[in-house]
Amino acid sequence: MSVWAGTIRQETVAARRERLPQFLLVVFLAMVAASAFIGSAAKGTVTAVYQEAVREGLTSAPNPFTTISPLYYARNTVIYIILIAALLAIVIGAQSTLRDRRARTIDLVLSRDVPPAKYLAAKLAGTGLLLLFILAVAALVNLACIAVATGSFPTPAQGARILALFGVAWLFLIPFVTLGMLNGIRCATATSGLLVPIVVWSIVIFILPLLGTAAHPVSLLNPVSKAAPAESGFFELTSAVTGPLSLGEQFKRTTALILEDPQSGGTAEGGLLVLLGFFFAACLALLVAGPSHMRRELHG
Amino acid sequence: MTDMAIQATGLVKQYGGKTALDQLTLSVPRGEIFGLLGHNGAGKTTTVNILTTLLPPSSGTASVAGRDIRTQPAQVRRVIGYLPENVQFYDNLTLNENLMFFAQLSGVQHPAARIRTVLDIVDFPGHEREHMGTFSKGMRQRAGIAQAILHEPAVLFLDEPTSGLDPQGVATLRNIIIRLNRELGVTVFMNTHLLGEVTRTCTSIGILGAGRLIYQDSISATLDSFPGQDSLEEIYLSIAAGTPS
Repeated sequence: MSVWAGTIRQETVAARRERLPQFLLVVFLAMVAASAFIGSAAKGTVTAVYQEAVREGLTSAPNPFTTISPLYYARNTVIYIILIAALLAIVIGAQSTLRDRRARTIDLVLSRDVPPAKYLAAKLAGTGLLLLFILAVAALVNLACIAVATGSFPTPAQGARILALFGVAWLFLIPFVTLGMLNGIRCATATSGLLVPIVVWSIVIFILPLLGTAAHPVSLLNPVSKAAPAESGFFELTSAVTGPLSLGEQFKRTTALILEDPQSGGTAEGGLLVLLGFFFAACLALLVAGPSHMRRELHG
Repeated sequence: MTDMAIQATGLVKQYGGKTALDQLTLSVPRGEIFGLLGHNGAGKTTTVNILTTLLPPSSGTASVAGRDIRTQPAQVRRVIGYLPENVQFYDNLTLNENLMFFAQLSGVQHPAARIRTVLDIVDFPGHEREHMGTFSKGMRQRAGIAQAILHEPAVLFLDEPTSGLDPQGVATLRNIIIRLNRELGVTVFMNTHLLGEVTRTCTSIGILGAGRLIYQDSISATLDSFPGQDSLEEIYLSIAAGTPS
């Protein structure tokens, strides 16, 4: 038990004191806070345009923003999770294993009765708990900012949906942590230890959806992706292959349903299953492939 | 229970086509401070890496404190302490945080109390809350010894422990090693280049040449056996040159 406790404690303390994660965390929390006010500003702008249109007699339809749900203000957060929190997860993961190699402490660790797979699992637990704490703080910031922007607290059901958003975000982010950890073990330098996972992240978030849907790159930055027009031709074939691997799109689709986005359709189970599949596959890959590389420089 | 702290028979280690250890056979009795000498590339660090179970041998057998390194590596790790050459720590953690981490990895029952004890043993109190990034080489070496003895090992492996230290640091570390051996009964196995330190610290020596043990005896017997030589350095050079008198 003390291997778990000691490693988790060491992970959380060491990661907290590193500058790059600190910087990304501040940016992430700032954007989570700003997203509610961006939503509020968007609502204000649309309402002003609507009122102008009513005054000029151009429409008699009711203002679609009058009865908008507080969950609307959390939708932009999804994009900041994909863009900033995923990078934060990669950095936390890569620095977790790079730290051991940079400090050459892996010799000291492995000269003790600690199986490498158990040590890596404890490190993953430590980074996972740290990430969970960060997302819990982000959820509270998001709830507080929505309350300020709308002038009232979300209902318990709406609050639960926002918490669920961040819970699913944790599932979505753990594969990026393991990707960072694996590359921290394998890559010769800190730069490549970070660059390789960032390239993989850009492929999963941007390139695979483009290959499968022909979506305009900018549209991938929308919280809710439109259904792919893949009924025939090349994209029908590619979307079948790249769709399940497009982790960011699966996350957006799942969270859109959680946040009751009227543009979303279907059920959340499919997306959740894909996220869970990535979660377990990534953990397994780390625990199977990681230990053999931890002391490779000794084996010549 | 054998009287030998370390016993190696026919150890071979090959890296690709290169042979680092070639049928190494040696034994170190309990209670010794054993100095392993040899030129750069003679196989000293490889020997330590194999005996600490960090590296598997290509062939041959060895036991440490009666535990087989091949069949009982976990048991071996429980009874050894290890200080690598140029020991490093997590620089953004304090000394206490680093030692707490290694104490918990070692399964120490009351880590806080044990950390206080080992810092007293290595004469290094008062630095617990300092970040290790600010430590000098000598301070790191003392912290390194402290982490190595947290779990009260029977055998301590030190890889070039005095390398890069100033004379005062060397003397301090020497006193710590002798104290660990005499007062706590720890068997010490150390690689070193500083032959003067070997004479002052070790009770016996072995000399490696091209991956083989070419000489082993106690310090006193070694000095008596080479009456024409004034120092261990001269004796070492004559043995290593393959021309013992």
